[in-house]
Amino acid sequence: MKTHIDPFQLEVLRHALTGIAEEMSFVVMRAARSPLLREAGDLSSALTDARGELVAQGRDIPVHLGVMSFTVGAFLKIIPPEKLKPGDVWFTNLPELGGNHLPDVKAIRPIFSDGRLIGFAVSLAHWADIGGGWPGSYVANATESFQEGLRLPPLRLFTAEGPDSEKISVIMQNVRGPAEREGDMLAQMAATRTADQRLLALCQLHGTETVETAMAALHDRSEAAMRRAIQTLPAGVFEGEDFLDDDGPDGAPAAVRVRITIADDLAEFDFSATDDAVAGPLNTTPYVTAAAVYYAMKAIAGPEIQPNGGCYRPLRVITRPGSLLHPPLEKPLVGGNHETSQRLVDAIFRAFAPIIPERLAAGGSTTAGLLIFGGAGRDGSWKTLYEPHGGGEGARHDRAGAAATRVHLTNTNNTPAEIIEAEFPIRILRHALRRGSGGGGAHRGGEGSEREYLVLAEEMSLTTMFERRIIPPWGLAGGEAGAPFHCELRRVAGTSEELRGKANLLVHQGDVVAFKTSGGGGYGKA
Amino acid sequence: MAEWHVGIDIGGTFTDIVAIHTGDRALRSAKVPSRAKDPVASILAAIAAISLQPRDIAELVHGTTRVTNAIVEGKLEPVVLIGTEGFEDIIEIGRQSRRDLYRLEVRPKPEPLVPRERRIPLAERMLHDGTVQKPLSAAAIEAATARALASGASSVAIVLLHAYANPSHELALGQALRGKVPFLSLSHAVNPEAREYERMIATVLNAAVMPLAAAYLTELRATLPSGLKLGVMHSAGGMATPEAAAERPLLMALSGPAAGVAAAAAIARELNEKSVLSFDMGGTTTDVALILEGQAEITADAKLADQPLRQPMVAIESIGAGGGSIVRHGVSGLSIGPQSAGAEPGPASYGRGGELPTVCDANVILGYLNPKRRLGTEIELQPERARAVFAPLAAALNLSVEALALGVLRVADATMARALNKITVERGVDGRGATLLAFGGMGPMHAIGLARSYGISRVIVPAASSAFSALGCVTAEHSATRQRTLRMASDGFDDAGFATARTALVDELRSLLDDNDNVETEETAMIRYRGQSYAVDVALAGPVDGTSLGRIFAERHQALFGFVSGQAWEVMGLRTRLRVPRPPSLAPVISSGAVPKPFQLDECWFDAAGAIPTARYERAALVAPHIISGPAIIEDDWSTTVIPPGWEARATGNGHILLQEQTA
Repeated sequence: MKTHIDPFQLEVLRHALTGIAEEMSFVVMRAARSPLLREAGDLSSALTDARGELVAQGRDIPVHLGVMSFTVGAFLKIIPPEKLKPGDVWFTNLPELGGNHLPDVKAIRPIFSDGRLIGFAVSLAHWADIGGGWPGSYVANATESFQEGLRLPPLRLFTAEGPDSEKISVIMQNVRGPAEREGDMLAQMAATRTADQRLLALCQLHGTETVETAMAALHDRSEAAMRRAIQTLPAGVFEGEDFLDDDGPDGAPAAVRVRITIADDLAEFDFSATDDAVAGPLNTTPYVTAAAVYYAMKAIAGPEIQPNGGCYRPLRVITRPGSLLHPPLEKPLVGGNHETSQRLVDAIFRAFAPIIPERLAAGGSTTAGLLIFGGAGRDGSWKTLYEPHGGGEGARHDRAGAAATRVHLTNTNNTPAEIIEAEFPIRILRHALRRGSGGGGAHRGGEGSEREYLVLAEEMSLTTMFERRIIPPWGLAGGEAGAPFHCELRRVAGTSEELRGKANLLVHQGDVVAFKTSGGGGYGKA
Repeated sequence: MAEWHVGIDIGGTFTDIVAIHTGDRALRSAKVPSRAKDPVASILAAIAAISLQPRDIAELVHGTTRVTNAIVEGKLEPVVLIGTEGFEDIIEIGRQSRRDLYRLEVRPKPEPLVPRERRIPLAERMLHDGTVQKPLSAAAIEAATARALASGASSVAIVLLHAYANPSHELALGQALRGKVPFLSLSHAVNPEAREYERMIATVLNAAVMPLAAAYLTELRATLPSGLKLGVMHSAGGMATPEAAAERPLLMALSGPAAGVAAAAAIARELNEKSVLSFDMGGTTTDVALILEGQAEITADAKLADQPLRQPMVAIESIGAGGGSIVRHGVSGLSIGPQSAGAEPGPASYGRGGELPTVCDANVILGYLNPKRRLGTEIELQPERARAVFAPLAAALNLSVEALALGVLRVADATMARALNKITVERGVDGRGATLLAFGGMGPMHAIGLARSYGISRVIVPAASSAFSALGCVTAEHSATRQRTLRMASDGFDDAGFATARTALVDELRSLLDDNDNVETEETAMIRYRGQSYAVDVALAGPVDGTSLGRIFAERHQALFGFVSGQAWEVMGLRTRLRVPRPPSLAPVISSGAVPKPFQLDECWFDAAGAIPTARYERAALVAPHIISGPAIIEDDWSTTVIPPGWEARATGNGHILLQEQTA
């Protein structure tokens, strides 16, 4: 294969490849049926080379994007390339296969040009239900992965001839809201189809070999850029830690600990001192751990570096088997994807806080801030309302934090009250800023928000999955902490109770769930 | 005698005018410097520049960037926001996502348009089906009115939940405020669609630009003769009456670019081109749009300064790459824009103090821009300055200055090709079969390069390409467009109810046009499978019922996404456009029969191997049926068309240039 490509052709192809990945996300949002995808945008898209190394990604969700740099590589260990055919779309959600949690289903399509495999299109979408012990597939007191839903090893659901309706039927028989799920699956298929068409057109215009050369060159360039970025950090060993509020069933806090070694143009992140795997669904995978590291390093050292497999080569991530970040296969982990992962970013930021505070932000609402309502929708079909809530952003050395936004590994939207009320038996009583919730300091943390849900159906399921209820977002360089999350259930009978951050319960007509999200930490002494 | 139709486009640097005589269709056109603080003076100066008096003008249509600039620069009048109690902070909460994934220094979202002290809660509540959950009391109206008046702001936006389903509360409060505050903007009128944050932003922006739009339109009306018919270009590419524009100035947010697209659409109709991509490349930005069957594609998802506008607008994809865009070499490779050298200091080759390499300088280095002709009649190009600012980067990359310049143009083309991809893919169209219609100061220079990098083989540089938005104003159709939420499911589809809703929207729009006799109606239904959010646009031709609608929808969905579903579908909304068609307005160019002769021979670079002799022609010299083969350059004072080897140019239609790849 050619090894040299002129810098301008490389640029032309970089634009085109990134454009394809962005277009894939657009197709999923347009074609999908669940509000979680079309309104909240809980999805991501990527192109990889033939070995599975990430080449281009959409402007999506950082935790997905980091994980997807492993998915195809792991997939190829089970499904050898000679089994792949043009027109195939494979689906999988196994956490141990370059994955994160069961609801995030990945569609993988091999792309062939000039008779050979040149890369893969990967469309990741969060299915609002993947079966298991509770609507929405977040089982707060789960102690086994099997309680969290359907585990899909790589399955070829589409070939060039069309869908494999028998396999699809097995899946649809085991998830809630099969019509909506089928729509999500078809949307992912459609996104990979678009990528296939676009990549082939690109190969026609530039030549297949040139496209392959460009993919390799992009990796090399990002690797060099990341090495230079690491060199801008002070060399040394830095330690940081952060804590989960609780681990699900028994409520004990758990520690994540990182030891960072910066040596010339290499950075090592050793999480070995992190606590053992926990009983509840807050465990996560080494891939999610790597995704947290990738995000943190891009944000701190090189936000402008083209993200691809190459820029992660100088980063070494170590997890200890048996720990929270590398649990035994049977451990539950649905919440770890967006809760524990954000703890990791906090731990990394806190390790760097004493030395480069001006490059960081104070603690923000580093949690999905999730409420999931399940029940019959206005049209009679099963509906899952998946509501991620943003909070206050942590302040920086030169500005206050913004109110009610998403930080770090997540970037999902809220769902408008006018959409919720038209489709779900829920009324939104208020959606306002949580005044005064930002941490004090020379620059204040951003304010959280408040949203109140009135239940109109006779009965609905409710799941909570959030952090920062007990341990508040931290202040930086002497700034104060922000106010923590607070979730109150006001029963129609007149009683009221505070809900825990990981809970499954039933709510009834007239009940009100009042959710207050955290304020951001402040920066500097006031 | 008032015998002229005049189009004027007031841009940031220049005001363009195109006038067409109503009798013999003679064309006059000019460019004058814009007077930023006094747009009315710009208009009068432009009229004088083509030797006309205001009294010679029967109809004047103009495009303006005043509304655009006010929004982009954040120079907005203070607005009081009255919202449903408990929801007035939505203006700051937004959709909660952040703009940039990795840059911690970037504020996650724009500063809120209305500060907290000017958000007023109103005790009332409507539900999604239009039923009243909490009635609006006289006391609540009184309290909100008193607070609004006490604030001292002159413009009030009212945004109540579910007002698109039942506007009665907004109307009642509006009634109480009318006459007490000068400017009032009601959400159900500005944007009758669900999603409270987006509707709130649209309504507040509309309120914020009402005072300046009203002052401007009043002054213009007072300055021009009373018999003169005045029109304003709106963002959907048609013209609106000044009264309609004053009531809903947000319609003018894309006035200038939409005028260019309107002209492109007029030429597509004139030349009977089925599928056209308009390519408007200026100093700082490039705008592209898709025109199918002579009509520009419309969207309601446009944003300006990261704010959703929610108005039916020409679907323009705008990118920050133009002639003045600065070339940088960073960790992710070579990039172009969005930083621009602007008009001052301008590109280095202008010799006005520009120190950074720009796209325009690359064109100078390669010999495309003629150093012996004053650019825009006044700027003397300095090629040595362009080479000087390119030299350090060329040295760093171990390339010649010319090889770097060629590379810069390729990267610029790739950036723009991505925009072309976006507007075509969203509509399920393969853009490679389209004709590229190039205009704006830089468009004709880059057209063939872009066409080649995208796989397009046919390019048109239209007559008056450098005053094209002004041409769009003069050729614009009177039109009015409106989009409305309408929910109807396929199971038990109400054929009669659907027909009634269509008729009601048409009738409503008729009241906005002054010529109701020759109206053509275009209707689009937005349809989705139940649960999808983004509906597919389905054109409605004549009467339809549930069955036929389902069939057309399935065909569109298959084309866009490659699958159909057995699930129920539902109509989510209707978009209707009424327009008064106009005949082609340009006079045919009469051939003198003379063979075009080059006026100058230069050395130009088309690949890094070396410069080759390239003939320059005056644009006016190219008339049918003669053909000019590349390498060649066709130019006038305002525009330069580059024809590389392997391409040829011929005159077509009413003064347009058709560029095609030569067949071997």
